[in-house]
Amino acid sequence: MRTVLIVDDEFGVADVLVAALEDEGYRVFTAANGRQGLERLAENKPDLVVLDFMMPLLDGPGMARAMRAERAYEAIPIIMMSAVGEAAVRERFDGYAAFLRKPFSIPVFLKTVAGVIAGRS
Amino acid sequence: MTKDKQTDLERVPTGIAGLDRILRGGFLKGGVYIVQGTPGAGKTILANQVCFRHVAAGGHAVFITLLSESHARMLQHLRPMSFYDEAAIPSSIYYVSGFNILETDGLKGIVDLIRREIKGHRASLLVLDGFSVTEESASSEREFKKFVQEIQSHTAASECTALLLTNGSNRAVTPEYTMVDGLIDLDNSLYGERSERGLLVRKFRGSGFLPGRHAFRITDDGIVVYPRIEAVFAKPSRRDEYRLRRISTGIRGLDEMIGGGLPAETTNGLFGPTGSGKTTSGLQFVGLSTAAEPGLFFGAFESPERLRVKAASIGIDLAGMERRGEVEIIWRPQGEHIMDDLGHQIIDAVRRRSIKRLVVDGLGGLMEAAVHRERISRYISALANELRALNATVLMTMEDRQILGASMRLPIDGMSSLLEGLMLLRYAEVEGRVQRLLSITKIRDSDFDPFLHEMKITNRGIEVGGRLSGAEAILSGYAREPKAVPTGQLPQKRHRPEE
Repeated sequence: MRTVLIVDDEFGVADVLVAALEDEGYRVFTAANGRQGLERLAENKPDLVVLDFMMPLLDGPGMARAMRAERAYEAIPIIMMSAVGEAAVRERFDGYAAFLRKPFSIPVFLKTVAGVIAGRS
Repeated sequence: MTKDKQTDLERVPTGIAGLDRILRGGFLKGGVYIVQGTPGAGKTILANQVCFRHVAAGGHAVFITLLSESHARMLQHLRPMSFYDEAAIPSSIYYVSGFNILETDGLKGIVDLIRREIKGHRASLLVLDGFSVTEESASSEREFKKFVQEIQSHTAASECTALLLTNGSNRAVTPEYTMVDGLIDLDNSLYGERSERGLLVRKFRGSGFLPGRHAFRITDDGIVVYPRIEAVFAKPSRRDEYRLRRISTGIRGLDEMIGGGLPAETTNGLFGPTGSGKTTSGLQFVGLSTAAEPGLFFGAFESPERLRVKAASIGIDLAGMERRGEVEIIWRPQGEHIMDDLGHQIIDAVRRRSIKRLVVDGLGGLMEAAVHRERISRYISALANELRALNATVLMTMEDRQILGASMRLPIDGMSSLLEGLMLLRYAEVEGRVQRLLSITKIRDSDFDPFLHEMKITNRGIEVGGRLSGAEAILSGYAREPKAVPTGQLPQKRHRPEE
């Protein structure tokens, strides 16, 4: 079973994404900010991290850079998502596998997740 | 940021011109303000607009949401508005949700979040959207008061101004109201079939503000606030430096009746039924405008195209005058206007172009915009005082709904005392034909001809004829043969000026 870590401070967004992934048979766990996200990584190494851009404590780029600095996590693909356009995100971190601009539809999300995981394997 | 001369406190402008005028320059730096209103009242737009304007001026803002719409939706709704600048996110405006933290760490977690985010993003402006959720999370009133106190301490220490957005409380007085530096209410009220948004400053520590409810709109440029004309111009912007000088009306016969023209820098009414010559008189008045002494025709009824044709038919090249900058036409056809918006448009145009001749055609257009009709006389009075201070001579037309008949009733109680001159146009049936008549009721500090005069509209404009004779009871609308009056008892020609 594929495992996905969703890191988003907006619980409403995270809840919807969790439900959609679980319906497709993924195992999902969540964190509400980048710092919590790094803690979760240590507990369960996922196949994919879905990461929000702006969050309290540690933002998406901050967590992504910390992941890339750790050998154990550096290869985990990241889908970055944000309410602002990709240009602002790329300025801070561009090592992600895919970008989703919020709001997006569930089919688009699931297709992106499946594509990134398939690309990795 | 600007410094308040009276309090020496630094201001944080909202960037919303009308609101800054109401707040006398903006929020006080480091203050905590509640913005409350029902869902849809405009709180989130207002707070975002203040953030974007604040960062455009070099500040930094953090926007924390609790239980409110998602950031993606919120930004999607803001994107069409002109103040929205995506390049400012996240470097200058940072959006985070605090709800998870509230759920796990309670109010203390939110205080820590505020402290960290202010420091981390060097924020000089903080918005907490969904403030009422924090009250619901508090186990006691004491805990909630402590929470508000901690927000105040952190924001004051960081010189960060805070806006707390809430749907409000059912209680008349809540602890946070007494603790914060200011309280602003937003509402959207229904008046008959129409609605009008309003903003009311209930409390503002450390500074005066314009009291009462001020109308606002949500436009493509965000929130536009229209401070109440009577509040803004309670005192005219300049002292009245009255000196008697005449301004020609553009109608020779009328000028002769009132001693050479309207006294300069006065507000005068022209009252009459439809088709009696009010708009034509207005065109003749602005028709004497020059580039040095420009005119403004502010109309609610006839479109600029129709006005140009009408002016051309009496020999006035209005289109040419517009091209040469001698006359400006502003047309605001009747609709759901905000009375204060119209008032500010008039005053702004007069100030912008140093207008000397202003026609408001007609007053009914302004009155129709009023949702509180009891305001009208105070509104007209403040408007007239400010226009006088701006050295404009004003001719306001007013429609009498009665075409023929004895009674002429001014549209506003106390109107005649607001006006410095009042001229009446009317119809009367004389010897089987309808005759236009002109009479003067009042001209400030002036002698005037009190007799009824015949009036015609020709291709040279309005022509005032001689005194009407050979009939009486004309004002009833139906003239009759006069009784013989001995020559010695005929009235004197001129009327004494008012005291």
